[in-house]
Amino acid sequence: MTAETRIAKPVQTCEEFQAQLPEMFESGEEFHGLDHLQTCENCAALVRDLEYIAQQAKLLLPLRDPSPVVWENIQHKIAGNNGK
Amino acid sequence: MLTENTSNNTKTVTNGIFSPGSDNLPAAPDRPKAANQHLRRNPPIAGEAEAIAKAQAGDAPSFEMLYSLHKRRVYSLCLRMLGNVAEAEDLTQEAFLQLYRKIGTFRGDSAFSTWLHRLAVNVVLMHLRKKGLPQVSLEETLEPSQEDGPRKDIGARDLMLSGSIDRVTLERAVEDLPPGYRLVFVLHDVEGYEHNEIADMLECSIGNSKSQLHKARMKLRDLLRSGQRKEVTQK
Repeated sequence: MTAETRIAKPVQTCEEFQAQLPEMFESGEEFHGLDHLQTCENCAALVRDLEYIAQQAKLLLPLRDPSPVVWENIQHKIAGNNGK
Repeated sequence: MLTENTSNNTKTVTNGIFSPGSDNLPAAPDRPKAANQHLRRNPPIAGEAEAIAKAQAGDAPSFEMLYSLHKRRVYSLCLRMLGNVAEAEDLTQEAFLQLYRKIGTFRGDSAFSTWLHRLAVNVVLMHLRKKGLPQVSLEETLEPSQEDGPRKDIGARDLMLSGSIDRVTLERAVEDLPPGYRLVFVLHDVEGYEHNEIADMLECSIGNSKSQLHKARMKLRDLLRSGQRKEVTQK
């Protein structure tokens, strides 16, 4: 690659990079080696945070049981009109 | 007394703080994503197959067992999608009444939990459509208002989230998401549905589902970082 072509290569701005992020995340392709991420600490931190949020969401447990009234109502309705 | 389902509780939380990579089911790099999601969404449950068969034949105690096995996940799904306890309980009730009516049609083509949770999602979406909430009726109105939306993150370098979110904080932030964002985030990131499934359920495009998910995560980041800033200020 010549010096001229290196200079001519467009530099990706943060806005341009972030506009492509939804598709990059969901494509499943590796994008951490992109030039912009190597040089922009802000966008690198953004990517780390978004990946962390998605990772933590997968770890969320079922919250809690519904109150006993829910089952009582279900039984009542099933007994009353056969669930209809 | 029926046995409470504990098979869902396979995720590791240490002192309320999530340890990245501590979950023993999802996101393992050496396991295909689809297999991870299948295990996460459909953990094997002892005695379930027999209970399904008996419930299909009208056995009431077996139906009660299925309720006991699945009530927590169905209720949690409803609560996270709706953000309202009373509505979540009403729709949990409705989901199980529909299960009672439709269980005879379950043929085992998919895991029972997958089938039931899809039924519950449909109950919630039907309810939201009846309420006339625009975010689930038309694709273009799936977009929350601009003031609810996330901002671009240009040059706002300060706090980092990694390693610092506990479960309660994340749950609260999810509750604070605008409804349109919350729906897609819960369905994709929490429940593990794929974008094509979400697009089908919400009657929007796959691209819209991806876009909404990204905006939801960006908004969550904003919410979590603003919470961190408040903590720092108070100290």
